[in-house]
Amino acid sequence: MISLGLRILLIAIIGAILAGVTCSIIGVFVVRLKISSIGYAMSHAAFAGAALGLLLDIDPLLIALLFSFIVALLIGPISDRSNLSPEVILGIIFSLNIALAFIFLSLLPTTAASISALSILWGSILTITIDDLTYLSILTTIMISAIVLFFKEFYAILFNRKLAEADGINTKPFYYAILFMAGATVSFSLKIIGGLLVFALIVNPPSTIMQFSYDMKKIIVLSPILGAITCLIGFLLSLITDFPVGSSIVIVSSLLFAISVVVSPKRRVIVQH
Amino acid sequence: MEYIVELKNVSSSYLGEAYPAIRDITLMVKKGDFISIIGPNGAGKTTLLETIIGLIPIVRGKIRIFDKELQKDGILIRRKIGYVPQTFSIDEHSPFIVKDVVLMGRFGKIGMLNSPSKRDLELVNEFLQLLDIYHLKDRPIGKLSGGQQQRVLIARALAKEPELMLLDEPFSAIDPLFRKEFIKKFVEIHKKFDLTTIMVTHDLGSIPEICSKIYVMRGGRIVEELKVEEVENFRERKGVLNDLPRT
Repeated sequence: MISLGLRILLIAIIGAILAGVTCSIIGVFVVRLKISSIGYAMSHAAFAGAALGLLLDIDPLLIALLFSFIVALLIGPISDRSNLSPEVILGIIFSLNIALAFIFLSLLPTTAASISALSILWGSILTITIDDLTYLSILTTIMISAIVLFFKEFYAILFNRKLAEADGINTKPFYYAILFMAGATVSFSLKIIGGLLVFALIVNPPSTIMQFSYDMKKIIVLSPILGAITCLIGFLLSLITDFPVGSSIVIVSSLLFAISVVVSPKRRVIVQH
Repeated sequence: MEYIVELKNVSSSYLGEAYPAIRDITLMVKKGDFISIIGPNGAGKTTLLETIIGLIPIVRGKIRIFDKELQKDGILIRRKIGYVPQTFSIDEHSPFIVKDVVLMGRFGKIGMLNSPSKRDLELVNEFLQLLDIYHLKDRPIGKLSGGQQQRVLIARALAKEPELMLLDEPFSAIDPLFRKEFIKKFVEIHKKFDLTTIMVTHDLGSIPEICSKIYVMRGGRIVEELKVEEVENFRERKGVLNDLPRT
């Protein structure tokens, strides 16, 4: 039998690794398609959902997930219908959700309840349960399987969506799937890293790997590995320093990115004889 | 008479645009034809190609390609068309390797859930060699010159083993010193692979002699039809078309 403390620690470590893998895989798509505001938009959708959950006395995380899923489902179709870039739609969704969140919070009877809704934005890794891990594992498995099975289609879209369409690939479902997976990733990572900091975990590891490679295939493979390592180091840093876990992970990933920029061979003149 | 491409009174429009970008276009292209579309900037040449490949919705008329309705069988049709776009900005840090970009041309043909076969990879090498860019196969595409990138995109389109090639200003970034030679090479490719080609160009000097018909576009319409031997005459007659340069 393992002690309760060790069990909580193990669950937290596995959760951190899974979040690192999932966020960094989808991060490659987010960075390449330039839709990084999806992090803000989804986390604030979850925030609004959590506030509504508290108001209605329903599990705030459940409503937070529901809100994020609805947003994730809507981004692609709205962006295509309105003929606007997803970044614009994400900006609108972000502000709408903040407005909704404040309305719901203003209707809450106590400040304590408001603080509970705000915890969605900061995350709390030591409170994750086996159920949370299971959901995150399922998401990670589905995402990796989808990317492996439809690698050609995703790869062609990452290069250029219009050319992929001209090549006879029906890009719409794949593009929507990318947006949906990004939304789902943020939703499931909320409890671990928090809505505000998840953005860094999505953007930093792929951006770090991109400093060393021009090969998208290698970037797709190496980013989740770096994401997992980043989360693990961040988690250890948090245990040592007593800093919040999410913040520690972000500090580690930002430091790794800064180092990568300094040592990147892309900024050096290499002469081959 | 077997027509590969049939456009009947076609008008097409960009989303949200009140006026069609091309109007009332009728264009019949036979198998093996080499067609050139010329015209000044904004004449609708690129829109015409994008309409033929189904990237821009038609608002009037009918398009049949390979004896199939474009609106119904667009995806199947596109798998047999090699398309080389005009404006294609590839940023310097684009994380894609040349051989992978060329292989992408075969993705539609390989089909969902299938992996590229040995033959797919051989075809990639074959077209890289044909376009004289084999030595660049492991280079990131963003690091190549505009002319080299254009060759990569032509190789990508050919790797699809298309029946129809749609080329939008395909030689514009090729070094003028080698342009004639490259056009000659493309004509050989057109013949060797029994292609049907529709090329949009702004440069009268890049129209090859084998060109079966030349259409002049202006204001979204086809306003004139020429033969290759009439190009010189056309240039002089339309002296005002100074925006149609000669290489």
